[in-house]
Amino acid sequence: MATRWPGATPYSPIPAAKNLPGGGTGQERERKVVSKGNQQYPPLRALQASAVLRRASDEHKKEPLASSSQQHFDSPPAGHQPEQKPQGPHPSYTGQGGQESEDYESEEQLQHRILTAALEFVPEHGWTAEAIAEGAKTLGLSVAAAGMFRSDGSELILHFVSECNSKLSELLQKEQKLVQLGEAEKKPIDEFLRDAVEARLRMLIPYIEKWPQALSILLLPRNIPSSLNLLTSMIDDIWHYAGDQSTDFNWYTRRAVLTGIYNTTELVMMQDSSPGFEDTWRFLGNRVADAMAMSSTASQVQSTGEAVVQGLMGAAVTIKNLAGLNQRR
Amino acid sequence: MHFGFQTVTEEERREKIYQVFENVAKKYDVMNDSMTLGIHRVWKDILVHKMNPCPGTLLLDVAGGTGDIAFRFINYVRSVRQRQLQRKLKHHQNLSWQEIFESYQKDEFNSLGDSQVVVCDINREMLKVGKQKAEHLGYSEGLSWVLGNAEELPFDDDKFDVYTIAFGIRNVTRIDLALQEAYRVLKPGGRFLCLEFSHVSNPLLSRLYDLYSFQVIPVLGEVIAGDWRSYQYLVESIRQFPPQEELKVMIEDAGFFKVDYENLNFGIVAIHSGFKL
Repeated sequence: MATRWPGATPYSPIPAAKNLPGGGTGQERERKVVSKGNQQYPPLRALQASAVLRRASDEHKKEPLASSSQQHFDSPPAGHQPEQKPQGPHPSYTGQGGQESEDYESEEQLQHRILTAALEFVPEHGWTAEAIAEGAKTLGLSVAAAGMFRSDGSELILHFVSECNSKLSELLQKEQKLVQLGEAEKKPIDEFLRDAVEARLRMLIPYIEKWPQALSILLLPRNIPSSLNLLTSMIDDIWHYAGDQSTDFNWYTRRAVLTGIYNTTELVMMQDSSPGFEDTWRFLGNRVADAMAMSSTASQVQSTGEAVVQGLMGAAVTIKNLAGLNQRR
Repeated sequence: MHFGFQTVTEEERREKIYQVFENVAKKYDVMNDSMTLGIHRVWKDILVHKMNPCPGTLLLDVAGGTGDIAFRFINYVRSVRQRQLQRKLKHHQNLSWQEIFESYQKDEFNSLGDSQVVVCDINREMLKVGKQKAEHLGYSEGLSWVLGNAEELPFDDDKFDVYTIAFGIRNVTRIDLALQEAYRVLKPGGRFLCLEFSHVSNPLLSRLYDLYSFQVIPVLGEVIAGDWRSYQYLVESIRQFPPQEELKVMIEDAGFFKVDYENLNFGIVAIHSGFKL
């Protein structure tokens, strides 16, 4: 999800996460995260200790990057430590050299990890501070760490939504690559939209029982800027990957149409009890078809309008001819 | 070292403060109510509300003397636990009678959900008053009383989920040591909460507050507790205490992250919060 593998693209915080309100106070300071061998949960140390170690790792930076990064990336056991972040937000401080694999993590990254861990407890506890507390426990932290977040759980929901949006983005990007490489057919626009919305909504299925609660929290005035932001960026994303298959909509109409489709389908999904949510997908298909029809109707109206005007012009000329007004005498 | 507006050595300061609280212990709660017109109860409620403890939390209340924070913590956790149990029962609507009986057996003896609070105070008299109050009000479960110095806590490392110090850190002689001890005994992810009188920035309010503090409070002290000197010390120590931003920096220096403060009543009181990450 939020984590990338060592050796993959350098770590960058998920853009959507920056939209979340309630950032840290004052400067962002870095925690030291020690990862050795099979240790799953990094022990945490005081700032004085980490200040000292930061200097030590700076000295080790002299070693050539290639060999050290090889050594560094081989040390974590494969498949076990998704929490490890080989490069912190300030690369000059990361321990890329030497034997020590000590990394720095900012408060935001830790909060990110806690929220991700908390998602597992949402089906049982709902989108609450309790779920966050349980998540913190699994990371080896005290339950009091949930105090870092607001007690109504809105940060957890916003985190989840931005994670889903990222996943959708990745999915669409992969599909686009396949099409570019010629390994897949380019989908017609209605099928593309339908599949994208369905994929995104399917991510809600594990949490579907508690999702109405989440929706109501997202609609709180305090959360509307963030939730609206996330929604529009997701819609824009989908249209971006839909490509230039212009359907004669202008940009705002496109946004509004797809937002309408998405929201209404989401609501239908909330109270859908059919097996595999087939009613919802059928509803979705109908809405997308409506949207397509609407677009062709719009262009039809336009061309009809033109045709009507032309017809009137032609009729006027005919009448003039008949009345002999066009003759030049 | 300052003791109120006087200058004393560190040892003298510790002794004098010990005596202050020895003298006021019996009338401590009464004086709190009369000085703050009962608002101190609201402040303490807000502190516990901000803590939002869930059942299973281990709280260390330092300078907790007469137990105000500890009792509120227990009440809060109890009600959260009640709601939890109710939710669980709603879920289990179709249990057999045997299962229901078993769940009652289990949960009845767990009304606090394994939460515990340790009240630590340097002053024996204050602890005595606290224990009496607890007996009187019927608090017995999940509560323990320990004699100890905030600068050198008699606890192991990484033990507690939350550390609170309400209206106590002002009386600690070496605040930095107390903060370091707080850091030491907290678990990773643990929270530090400090409720303390602080500085009022609004000039008009500040003048009224000063007037009230220096003219009214010592008089109340004499009338109610028969001891105006202790209350003179109290108001002077409030003025000597570092303001919000300075305290925030001190807490950060001890190693806490996400340090923040919330002013109550325009800065008359402030709650500082930090996490051991």
